[in-house]
Amino acid sequence: MRTAILPLILAVAVAPLTARQAAAIQQNPKTAKPAADSAAKVAAPAVAVESTDSGKVQLSKATVDSLTQLVSRYRRDPEAVALPPENQIAMGGRTIPAGTTVAGPVAVAGGPLHVYGTVNGDAIAIGSDVIVHPGARITGNAVSALGTVNLAGGIVGGEIRQLAGALGAVPQAAEAESRAGSTRHALALSSSWLIILVLMAIGVLLFAGDYLDGVVDSLEGRFGRSFWAGIATQLALAPVLCLLVIALAVTILGVLLIPFAIVAFVLAVVGLITLGFLAIARITGESVAPAASKRYSARGAALRALVVGVSIYMGLWVLASAFAWAPVVETVLRGVAVAITWVATTAGLGAAVISRGGTKRSAPTASFAAVNDIPWQTPTPVTGVVAARRPTPSSSGRDR
Amino acid sequence: MSRFFALGLASVAVSVVTSTATAQSWRTLDVARQLTDSAPASVQVVYGTGRIGVRATSNPLLYHMQLRYDATRAQPRHTFDVASRKLQIGMQKSEMRFSGRNDADAGHLQLELSRSAPLDLSLDLGAVESDLDLTGLRISRLHVESGASDAKLRFDSLNATRMSVLEVSLGAASFRGDRLANANARDIRVDAGIGSVELDLGGQWTQDIDLRVDVTLGIVTIHVPSDVGVHVTLDKTLASFDHEGLTERDGGWVSKNWDSAPHKLRVTAETVFGKLSIDKTGR
Repeated sequence: MRTAILPLILAVAVAPLTARQAAAIQQNPKTAKPAADSAAKVAAPAVAVESTDSGKVQLSKATVDSLTQLVSRYRRDPEAVALPPENQIAMGGRTIPAGTTVAGPVAVAGGPLHVYGTVNGDAIAIGSDVIVHPGARITGNAVSALGTVNLAGGIVGGEIRQLAGALGAVPQAAEAESRAGSTRHALALSSSWLIILVLMAIGVLLFAGDYLDGVVDSLEGRFGRSFWAGIATQLALAPVLCLLVIALAVTILGVLLIPFAIVAFVLAVVGLITLGFLAIARITGESVAPAASKRYSARGAALRALVVGVSIYMGLWVLASAFAWAPVVETVLRGVAVAITWVATTAGLGAAVISRGGTKRSAPTASFAAVNDIPWQTPTPVTGVVAARRPTPSSSGRDR
Repeated sequence: MSRFFALGLASVAVSVVTSTATAQSWRTLDVARQLTDSAPASVQVVYGTGRIGVRATSNPLLYHMQLRYDATRAQPRHTFDVASRKLQIGMQKSEMRFSGRNDADAGHLQLELSRSAPLDLSLDLGAVESDLDLTGLRISRLHVESGASDAKLRFDSLNATRMSVLEVSLGAASFRGDRLANANARDIRVDAGIGSVELDLGGQWTQDIDLRVDVTLGIVTIHVPSDVGVHVTLDKTLASFDHEGLTERDGGWVSKNWDSAPHKLRVTAETVFGKLSIDKTGR
């Protein structure tokens, strides 16, 4: 269908269009016309244009329309040079005869621009070639969009420029990334973090489950203390690192260890934060979706709680990302996510520090087990063997 | 509940996969300028990501650039100030981003420069694969700065203009310089962060060369023709020095032919974690 326009242009231009140029003209879907319709346009009143030999040739209105659209696309192109007004663009080609001087810019569309004389300014061909013949002179730039600039012995004072590919306005990266695109990117980022944390949770549960249990115990028993310990830890991180570096710097051998010490310090902090976050995620998961004890094993229940907890915390970020197309809503949701995540991470970090990375369990709460007093109510002999000591809550705790 | 999580994870995976598709608009720009005289010119090339090639042109052109780029991500630049004869060419570096695509989809820049005009050439490259064949060009000064790249530089014939300094500054990169004696530079400086640096000082020696190499972490190999005398001054920390064929003298290392050699190479090297090798067999 679209190829129906091509013969019309070929019939006009002395130098035939290349396949690329023709394809470019066809790029605009608006130029697609039914064959019968295009054929009818040939017979329709045509527009008089200047041909390569400066004579007048006839172009159909459909052809002129498609060339006008191509010119319009060129005008919006960032690599374009300024064009003359629409009515001064020669559709079908133009020749600048030898011995003549023309004020630029000179532009053609759909046919070649032959320069034998002088163009004071830019010479532009859209969908066709600029041919600079011997003795010709272009003081400005010679530009061809979807064609070539053929230096056949003439002089171009400015730049020789050829454009190929998509012609027209090009949205820059920031503009090109539509709201849908930015939302998709934000969702992908937050979802990726969700997946990474779930995988880390599984890894920690498999290989460091005992340490995680230790941090969980610490959190369950002393949440408030863990939170304040977390804040204190955050405040102390920078000074401790500085002290560490200074301490190493005072010794000659220590100086060499500074880079390693910094890396080790950062890794340790990241490890504690991760362990603490996973611990609080597990507690959150257990609270929100308690597992039926018969249905899951202890490890299965822990994994379920971890996945639920991580999903809850990271779900806040995914939710915020889903509203990236609405900046105000996204900002509010992101603020909520930041606040909740910070509180959780701080408490988790504090618990990880208090429990020394889960290696130190908190002292179990003294249990007041029911004691059957009756066997102990036997009379104690005044002399002889001393009766066994009756267990008390405090002594039970010590015995453990 | 488990169905809910399965669906959630599946939707997340789908969103991650689909997010990689972004809008692109690949274009080709071909710009050139006729050579009107052979006056010196200053050329500044900036290119961030993709492949770049630089070579001499056989046509009567001052420059000729063929550039393929994604117009949604970068803006070409090609300005020539006739008065100061300063050419700025390449891509606007600040607007370039990693595309995450493979080489087949990456952009490329091919730059051809005049053989007759003396050039002060400066290349500011980002994460690129560069092939800088400066054979046949007249270069009065060369500065190559590259972030993370695989860079090759070569002079297959003698630079017709004496070069004041040849500077190469690399971030994390693999750099190979071939037949650098043809650069006709008395002063060669190579500064690399992390990576491997291989310098072949073959070619036509017209003068003694001072070579300064500063590599933080990496391997430096210097190939020197056998008839050239070598003197190495090394400042190393936790680094090794392969000094086969060199003997220690006055705090440095010298080749056996140092006193009698027609041309001399003075190497001042500084490396922290790395290895410096001097290959005196030539290439």
